[in-house]
Amino acid sequence: MSDCLCKININDIDLTDERYKISFSNTNIDFLARSLRETGLIYPPIVRPLNNKFIIISGFNRIRAHIHNNRVHNNGIKILVYKTEPDATDYQCLLKSISSLAFQRSLTLAELILCTKRLHEFLDKQQIAQKSPAIFNTELAEGFVRDLLFIGDLPDPGLQLIHTGNLSFKSAKRISLLGKETIKVFLDIFSKIHASQNKQLEIILYIMEISARDAIKPKAVYMNQEIQDILSDEKKDPGLKTRDLRACLFEQRFPIVFKAHQRVMEKITSIKLGNNIKILPPKNLDSQDYSISFTAKNYNQFQAKVQSLHKSLENKKLKELFTP
Amino acid sequence: MKIDTLFIDKAIPENFEIKYIISRLGADPQWVENTKTVYDHINDADDPILKAKKTLYITKNKGAVIKACPGTSFYTCCDYTILHTGTFCTMDCSYCILQAYFHPPVLQYFAGLTTLGNTLENTFSQNKIFRIGTGEYTDSLIWEKISLQPKFLVETFAKQNNSLLELKTKTINIESLLPLDHNEKTVIAWSLNTPDIIGSEEKGTASLKARLEAASRVESKGYKLAFHFDPMVIYPECEIQYKRVVQQIFQHVRPESIVWISIGTFRFMPKLKQIIETRFKHSTIPYGEFILGLDNKMRYFKPLRIKIYQEIISCIKEYAPNLMVYFCMEDEEVWEKCMGFFPEKEGELGHLLDKSAVKHCSLNSNLL
Ligand code: SF4
Repeated sequence: MSDCLCKININDIDLTDERYKISFSNTNIDFLARSLRETGLIYPPIVRPLNNKFIIISGFNRIRAHIHNNRVHNNGIKILVYKTEPDATDYQCLLKSISSLAFQRSLTLAELILCTKRLHEFLDKQQIAQKSPAIFNTELAEGFVRDLLFIGDLPDPGLQLIHTGNLSFKSAKRISLLGKETIKVFLDIFSKIHASQNKQLEIILYIMEISARDAIKPKAVYMNQEIQDILSDEKKDPGLKTRDLRACLFEQRFPIVFKAHQRVMEKITSIKLGNNIKILPPKNLDSQDYSISFTAKNYNQFQAKVQSLHKSLENKKLKELFTP
Repeated sequence: MKIDTLFIDKAIPENFEIKYIISRLGADPQWVENTKTVYDHINDADDPILKAKKTLYITKNKGAVIKACPGTSFYTCCDYTILHTGTFCTMDCSYCILQAYFHPPVLQYFAGLTTLGNTLENTFSQNKIFRIGTGEYTDSLIWEKISLQPKFLVETFAKQNNSLLELKTKTINIESLLPLDHNEKTVIAWSLNTPDIIGSEEKGTASLKARLEAASRVESKGYKLAFHFDPMVIYPECEIQYKRVVQQIFQHVRPESIVWISIGTFRFMPKLKQIIETRFKHSTIPYGEFILGLDNKMRYFKPLRIKIYQEIISCIKEYAPNLMVYFCMEDEEVWEKCMGFFPEKEGELGHLLDKSAVKHCSLNSNLL
């Protein structure tokens, strides 16, 4: 199967057909357009003849950049491409599309998921794993392929959220095992906040645990007015929304711990030891050991802080803290 | 859970003890060279834990027969001694730590009554009080119907006076023990819980009523008793339910027959949570207000533990003011707030329990 290098008319390409588009990067093509002007087309796109037109297998951005460079010539723009055999199969075209990108740069997680999902129409997970070095330029374990396929089944905007970093691989894997309605809940949450992987997992955990504890659906937890208010606040930065959502979920998941912790923190903040001396509560309020911390750059500072501590011995609120 | 597969270690002689088990089980044993066959049999199952509960492996104890209970330095420990007679259990409690403790879990019966007797002789010859239990890695009475071991232990302990044997169970397998001459050296102990928790979390165990009736029957034969409220589970209105259990204890047995009652709330290694979620989908016990304790186990938030302890202790004290009640793995604050004292010195709690053992089981008081 060899593709032939030839020049075709841009108008003969069906730009709307993106069946082989696997790249999520709709990057600004200015640089690429400039590069094409300076150095010409180094890697010609690959196209497939289909129904008297051509559809793009690889090189979506190069073709866009080429059109951009020649936009003054309305008609008759020609471009150098590799044209597949007319009888090239769907599978062969998909392989070309994936490997031409994978051998240029590492695929992103979202691209990997998308490609695995498409390949799964032709190959089972074991075959995908076996052929992965040749297709993906890297070895994919069978278990990993299975996870990618699970995640690939997430509805929209699952992949988009993975692409933007709003949904981590682990979180996606975790929610992909849940029911449809619950998956939608989490996709909606993660499209409105921006959280690190650990925080995403914590949010999933708390919602699932509240739901199990109270025998209600995760959607009912999500529909809680306070949570809705946090998520729908358009003015709030996604990072702040994450902070508020976590606090709200923690309070719901651990109401007694939350209140006790709040009380202790209020007491601690009311004790003004001054001189940047901090009091830390016992870990998880399980031991009875409070910690006092301060820093000192030199002996004088150390002395000043110890004196502040000494003065605090008569602090009524401090005494109260130790005799609850 | 009915045993459907019986493996026997080829190194075990087919003596009376083994023949007795085979005949009582009515199973066709497979004699195996090593544990691999057993492991493979268990690990091949979708739910290896469940499979392990139906697969009995008779072997000999390759480790220590007697060892000190592993406490931690953060919470007060009771200086108990474990007699290692087997591992795992045929019942299926959602919270059972043994599910996460063995890899894979194997239901083992350690054969060799002579070895057991010889090891115990060594313990009996020491100038020290021992409280010895078999219910740490298994339930003490699951094999009562099919093995001679419980009878052997009761009779062996009856002949000495420095050690108490505690058989801790959630079964009502007491029939073979009733006629024995135990010489008060055996304490039969029941782990108790509320009917709600027994119903939802303790699959295959005897009901509360049955356990208390069994306690009453062994009491009538002079056996001393103990009860363990462990793990107590916190749920709405649990205080009322636990108090009812206390009330029922004293409706069935006399306070004088009870050597001790221990109490402890549900605590677990973090990895147990996933096992509960996978194996017991209906269970909500992992969703309490837990924090990570100093021993790296999840425990209920301390004020919650203190509250339920205070309730149950005051209830016990109403019926039996002088009864020895103790905590399994709690710290100074909990002891002080719930009991009004803290056995601070190393070995102090152990000593209190030894005193109760001496008093109830006629052990040698000179050894205290
Ligand atoms: S009875 Fe005890 S050993 Fe048996 S499953 Fe329940 S907790 Fe585990």
